[in-house]
Amino acid sequence: MKSVLLIAVNFAREQRWPIFILLLWVLLLAFLGLVTDIRRNREDLLLLFKYVAVYAVVFSIFFGGSAIYNERRSRRIVSVLSKAVGRQQYLSGLVLGVALACTVYCFALGMTGSWTLGEAGFPVSRVWFLMLCLVAACTLAGTIALTFSTFLNPFFAAGATALVLGMPALATHVLGPRWAYSIPVWQLALTVIQTSFEAPGRAAWLPVAWAFAETVAFWLLSARIFAFVDIAVAVE
Amino acid sequence: MAPVLEFENVTKEYRSFPRRRLRALDSFTLRVEAGEIFGFLGANGAGKSTAIHLAMGFMRPTHGSGRLLAEKFGNVRVRRRVGFLAENVALYHRRAERLVRFYGALNGMAGSHLARRAHDVLALVGLQDDLKRNVGRFSRGMLQRVGLAQALVNDPELLILDEPTSALDPLARVVVRQLLLEAREAGKAIFLSSHLLSEVELVCDRVAVLHQGKLVRLGKTSDLLQSSERSEIVAKGIGVESFAGAVPRNGVISFSVPTAAQRGAMEQVWRLGGEIVRVNPVKRSLEDIFMEVTAAPAKTAPERAS
Repeated sequence: MKSVLLIAVNFAREQRWPIFILLLWVLLLAFLGLVTDIRRNREDLLLLFKYVAVYAVVFSIFFGGSAIYNERRSRRIVSVLSKAVGRQQYLSGLVLGVALACTVYCFALGMTGSWTLGEAGFPVSRVWFLMLCLVAACTLAGTIALTFSTFLNPFFAAGATALVLGMPALATHVLGPRWAYSIPVWQLALTVIQTSFEAPGRAAWLPVAWAFAETVAFWLLSARIFAFVDIAVAVE
Repeated sequence: MAPVLEFENVTKEYRSFPRRRLRALDSFTLRVEAGEIFGFLGANGAGKSTAIHLAMGFMRPTHGSGRLLAEKFGNVRVRRRVGFLAENVALYHRRAERLVRFYGALNGMAGSHLARRAHDVLALVGLQDDLKRNVGRFSRGMLQRVGLAQALVNDPELLILDEPTSALDPLARVVVRQLLLEAREAGKAIFLSSHLLSEVELVCDRVAVLHQGKLVRLGKTSDLLQSSERSEIVAKGIGVESFAGAVPRNGVISFSVPTAAQRGAMEQVWRLGGEIVRVNPVKRSLEDIFMEVTAAPAKTAPERAS
């Protein structure tokens, strides 16, 4: 477990610049909260909040999809896996690292959102529920991207992930609304996007719990695939 | 005593699209014993790194099997007792001391023991003044030294080093050489892959040469370096023109002859009124052997030194 935590923290540390760039959006939201009349511009602030929230899902796909590739290309994976670290532990560290990076971002967004939107009359508890939805969506999206990246290059992995995440939206139209929960990233993103001052929505826990359950399933699948992958840094 | 590293008829093929196969290692069998420094030689592409990566569990053999400290390749726990330094070491950009502690912690070390050990191994490789510096600002030689420190931090029973001195200056090489010799004295085994043949010649007890994925030479370094084909004769009291290729040196002349012609050459010296000072088998360098075996196509069975 200690190794997993070390790898996770190390991964989040290695992603500090993308996280910093993401946090600039949060700072922009905070800045607008400071310089504008929050009550008058509350719809604009909520729109920005939603945009900034959804960026996190996109970034988590890139975090997850490029993690193994970057480590292999830089050959740093060799120095980690030469220690008493199993491949499953290594992948657990990466999944936890993606979750950690997203949690840092969502926490910052939650803090700013609960201040700006809270001032404008949006329920603060709802802001934090939306952040939980976001963390669950990001973790699942990142883990799916990580699963694909065990055998695809990061661009194909990101494409394949986008396809998988978009399938429930298509299935909902064709087969019915139940299919929105098959891979709940889309559903969780919709929960964030469709929230409004007039209808902040209810706390629906099922998609959140289902997203975490699927994260575990994809993590196990990725570990199974990764166990058979040659980490051939360079073919001589 | 069980070997610390053992390859049993290991073959590794890389497959690429479309149906292309590259055999990097071919029916490779080797045993490395405890308490020895083992030199692993071969030209670029000979399969050295592939063999090392198989041993470390980074990849699986296509055929055959192997053991690392009596456990099958890929065993996670056994790696706590192994130190590994990869060729072209790549490390996270952190302060040197923190980095070594990070790698030590991955091996299950913790607390003040880890902190002290990290400090000690960095001092051992000559980085005691750079503990707080970020390795991102280190030269290649310094990076290699940090790489060596992280390999040593867990006080391993077996050190697997892939080109550990390639970027080091002569002074640092002497330090590393001393370090390897001390590790052997302490009963540890060292599996050393290197292109620096003079280094290998100086420290290794046994040497294996790999060529096109096959083991082509294996034996004690001293045996390999000794040639049974030519002898060097040192004589005095005769002219340098008496033997083709004779070289005068400090009042004596030396020349080499095929071992089969050694007796005749000695009698010739005596006939000319000279005196034999000494006769020795010609000592070859590892470079000679390396050039000899890598120039020829690989055979199936390795040639063993006596």
